[in-house]
Amino acid sequence: MAKVDFKQVKKSFGDRPILKGIDLTIGSGEFLVLVGPSGCGKSTLLRLLAGLEELTSGEIEIGGRSVGGLPPTERGIAMVFQNYALYPHMTVRQNLEFGLKLAKTSEAEMKRRVDDAAKLLGLEDQLSKKPGQLSGGQKQRVAMGRAMVRDPKVFLFDEPLSNLDAQLRVRMRAEISLLHQRVKSTVVYVTHDQVEAMTLADRIAVMNGGVVEQLGTPLELYNDPHTQFVAQFIGTPSMNVVPKDWLSGAGASFPAGAVNAGFRPEAITLVPSGQDLKLGSAEVVLVEPLGSTNYVHLRWNDTLIVAEHRGTNVKAIGEKCDLGVNASAVYWFDGQGKRVR
Amino acid sequence: MKFKGDKPLFVGLVLPTVAILTAFVAYPALRSLYLAFHEVEPFSQGLAYVGFDNFKSLLSSADFWSSLKVSLYFAVITVVPAVVLSLLAALLLDANPFFRGLWRTILLLPVSISSAMAAMLWIFLFNPTAGYLNYVLDVIGVTGPNWLADPRWAIYSVALVTVWKEIGFNVIFFMAGLSSIPKDVNEAAWIDGASSWRRLFSITLPLISPTMLFVTVVSLINSFQVFGQIHILTGGGPAGETTTLVYQLYQDAFVNFRTGFASAQAVILFALLMGATVVQFQVAKKRVHYG
Repeated sequence: MAKVDFKQVKKSFGDRPILKGIDLTIGSGEFLVLVGPSGCGKSTLLRLLAGLEELTSGEIEIGGRSVGGLPPTERGIAMVFQNYALYPHMTVRQNLEFGLKLAKTSEAEMKRRVDDAAKLLGLEDQLSKKPGQLSGGQKQRVAMGRAMVRDPKVFLFDEPLSNLDAQLRVRMRAEISLLHQRVKSTVVYVTHDQVEAMTLADRIAVMNGGVVEQLGTPLELYNDPHTQFVAQFIGTPSMNVVPKDWLSGAGASFPAGAVNAGFRPEAITLVPSGQDLKLGSAEVVLVEPLGSTNYVHLRWNDTLIVAEHRGTNVKAIGEKCDLGVNASAVYWFDGQGKRVR
Repeated sequence: MKFKGDKPLFVGLVLPTVAILTAFVAYPALRSLYLAFHEVEPFSQGLAYVGFDNFKSLLSSADFWSSLKVSLYFAVITVVPAVVLSLLAALLLDANPFFRGLWRTILLLPVSISSAMAAMLWIFLFNPTAGYLNYVLDVIGVTGPNWLADPRWAIYSVALVTVWKEIGFNVIFFMAGLSSIPKDVNEAAWIDGASSWRRLFSITLPLISPTMLFVTVVSLINSFQVFGQIHILTGGGPAGETTTLVYQLYQDAFVNFRTGFASAQAVILFALLMGATVVQFQVAKKRVHYG
């Protein structure tokens, strides 16, 4: 395992800037997730770290050593790709051995490493099969095994679960987490799925428009977002954001500079209690029952907001209800989307 | 088979293809097989069943063996360069996107002109006294040969034209094969420590092996069937040096009017090509990777 430093990392494709000066330090053995919408530059940052793209300017260090001019293989990294990127003409064993053979590893050591990885990932019975004969989950395990046998200082994951079905994704997520606990390598993991980010990460870097908007633990980002973008990106369903004036009737006092107010679905009550800010009446337009909870979509002042409502006494579609929101759970943002307190 | 939907439309759409294939492929092929067992009167088209006589006299004909030898040699000197050079061109074009479209067009131009036109063009280039080829050689101090009339050079001259005509077609297939290799598979190999050469031999070539098999089979069939350029450039000469099986067949059928005898050659040519293709597929079974 090794520390990773990004120092003023910039990358442009032609005259289009993709990364606009990234400063980021990833601790040794840390599981860092880069999360953000499509086109935010997260995959480019990962590919720069892997050595698959060239830096426009800035510096990247792995374990204190600048890796700017080094080819991927000399960086001590291993990467798991979105589409697995297995060698289709080789068996699972040959896929796992390929990198080791190139590194001139002895036969005995190669067999030991491949067998260990296969055992850890439950691939012992698949070693003589070709990738075309495997399921999506098995392919992803082989891709992880191929990364593991190289014993890298840093594991790179580029949206590894996005091709799997929902159930398998949850299982593989747990496996990746367990794997990290065992191998204790530094992990840089790219995803656009904030649930994946929240459940896997030691820390999350939320990226937007080529910059890191906020870096923090999952709960820090959830409870203390610095920008409206982070507030809305982290959390499912998304935070509701409305003009601050919509809350003035309820008697809310807002800080100087505030333009918008945000509150998470779980902060809304459909039966307001005494301390809540009274938001007035809203119409139920859709109810999504999830078993333990319900997401209630409401039309309030001609805009749609989502409330989380636990319990069985859900109003029917078309019915009116009184909305309340916990005053301490309201976030305020200025015109630029920055949080004001 | 059950038709769902518009049956007359279905039949109407398929019928022209079936009619053309029947008239120009199926009927001539079957007729040729039939004629191979008959003696055909040159002008009256009268037929007499002769069993395997045509095949027997073919096997004892020096011209047949000579033309078979020429065909096989011609296949080697055209298929190998046509496949290797087009693969190299495709690899270069795949790696360098600059002017890719322009180069592809330039390489494809020879394919789009007829063999007769191509042969006429090369007759000018090969002309021993006024041709550009010998002019260029002269400039660098080399005396060029009489390309089409010298028995040592004639077959290579025809081969050069054939390869030149074939390359563009092969390049298109190789480029399609190369573009179907996922980018991340190559990147994974790069991270695994594979050099460019290693990636070429361990990843790229195995993954385009189905394309390579297809291109080789098609090139082999084309080389055995080459006719236009031989007819125009050398007429099978000098001294039979460029008389391939197909050219011999043409001579027997349309110059000597030995239709039955020529049909027997056509049957043998078909069997040879079929056999070669089956062997190629068998050999390729172990080395070609389909997805």
